[in-house]
Amino acid sequence: MNIEKKRKIESIIALSLSGLAAAGGLFWLIYILADVLIHGIGALNMALFLNDPAPAGIEGGGLKNAFVGQLLITFVATLIGVPIGVLGGTFLAEYARGKKIARIISILSDIMVSVPSIVVGAFVYAILVRPLHHFSGWAGAVALSIIMIPVVLRTTEDMLSLVPWTVREAAFALGAPYYKVIIQVVYRGAATGILTGVLLSIARVAGETAPLLFTSFNNNFFSFNMNGPLASLTVTIFQYAMGPYKSWHAQAWAASLVITLFVLALTILGRLALKWRYKR
Amino acid sequence: MTQEVDLQVKNLNFYYNGDIHALKNISLPIYRHHVTALIGPSGCGKTTLLRCFNRMHDLYPRHRYDGEIIFEGRNILSSDIDLINLRSRIGMVFQKPTPFPMTISENIAYGLRLKGVKNKPELAGRIEHALKHAALWDEVKDKLHASAYELSGGQQQRLVIARALAVEPEVLLFDEPTSALDPISTAKIEELLVRLKTDVTIIIVTHNMQQAARVSDMTGFLYMGELIEFGTTEKIFTNPDNKQTDDYITGRFG
Repeated sequence: MNIEKKRKIESIIALSLSGLAAAGGLFWLIYILADVLIHGIGALNMALFLNDPAPAGIEGGGLKNAFVGQLLITFVATLIGVPIGVLGGTFLAEYARGKKIARIISILSDIMVSVPSIVVGAFVYAILVRPLHHFSGWAGAVALSIIMIPVVLRTTEDMLSLVPWTVREAAFALGAPYYKVIIQVVYRGAATGILTGVLLSIARVAGETAPLLFTSFNNNFFSFNMNGPLASLTVTIFQYAMGPYKSWHAQAWAASLVITLFVLALTILGRLALKWRYKR
Repeated sequence: MTQEVDLQVKNLNFYYNGDIHALKNISLPIYRHHVTALIGPSGCGKTTLLRCFNRMHDLYPRHRYDGEIIFEGRNILSSDIDLINLRSRIGMVFQKPTPFPMTISENIAYGLRLKGVKNKPELAGRIEHALKHAALWDEVKDKLHASAYELSGGQQQRLVIARALAVEPEVLLFDEPTSALDPISTAKIEELLVRLKTDVTIIIVTHNMQQAARVSDMTGFLYMGELIEFGTTEKIFTNPDNKQTDDYITGRFG
């Protein structure tokens, strides 16, 4: 067998193996999405959004408490996480640019991104739940914001670094102080990129269950009270899916569908924003 | 010609990264409302010298000035100089166009706002004036609210010049302003430079000797951090005193 033929066969083998692997990955992804869609869409109705849960074992009711709780926790987490992440990223890309401390924080932040979220949940449990002796929406929001911060921080740092240094020099040369250069020129140049990071980080935490299980826990009743346990979609899905009732299972599917679509929409929006940025 | 000195450089030494001696004992006058060109091979220190005039080096750590640059009776290298005020009076245009990520009119308004101009009609008037001054008005008057990135490279460079002019500086520093531009845009910028000197003092760093000969009144030749020769452009380009200057302008090195 000549060497050319041998190479061709090797190439075909490599191609088929990688193709199979890709198909295998895609198969499960589509299977999961289709399964969620098929089971979820049947159970999806207005009552789900408008009613609070019915007593256990009784048909009907909805998950209004969980939708509201989820939105509340995610919103507060965003309020805490985004400013810290954006300011931290600004520190790294601007004030500490090129310094050792910036590299160290960047690396630590990359490690933070891959810390299992259940560890974050346990950590917040130890600092905010145990000392106060009760679960709370605040604790849940803090846990989610801790997961958000490194994501937002690194995207902000990267996006600010993409703004050419000469543009900053030009602003300095007009007599601008550094904080005005950052706020009025650099942020504007990096705005869509930072927005993408923020959207993706919200999408990332919206699907988290483990950190909430230890912190905001769950609540069968409608509540705005961030000081007490608060329902969330993910924890409700966990509880309902494990539960013994058919109606719970159906609602868990519907909730799964809603949260999947929410995360999908945020991700697409984030990607679109990024694309828009590069088109300009 | 009557020659009033705007900036007097006296025994200037500059060090960066702690001890790299980039400018060696430089003294030269910058005449008011003249174009002064700084020429020399890469790494000779011409851009380093230019960036002393608006203290751009202060953005980076481990630099040291030694000597004086006298501007209106004060040494602008002294540590008690207000850099924000200095930079609003000695403007700068860079090698690559540096429009801000804003609209065309916001770009011009930026420096004005820094100076505290808030009044809308006044802003609009000064934006128009600056754009006319930089010979860009006719090309952009119908799209003042379009992104500055939509302009061509040459237009962007004139926008940046307009932005620098809007704050009415006494001196404008140009760091190879046409090296990233095509010949037509370059010609427009050169015409503009010659016209601008009735209002501002201009210092230009250029690699392009023909450009220095075309636009400048005075020329300084730098080599290895030293000012080898300084004189009228005519003299430097036709009958320089120094052999190195002669070799450089005739293209024997550099």
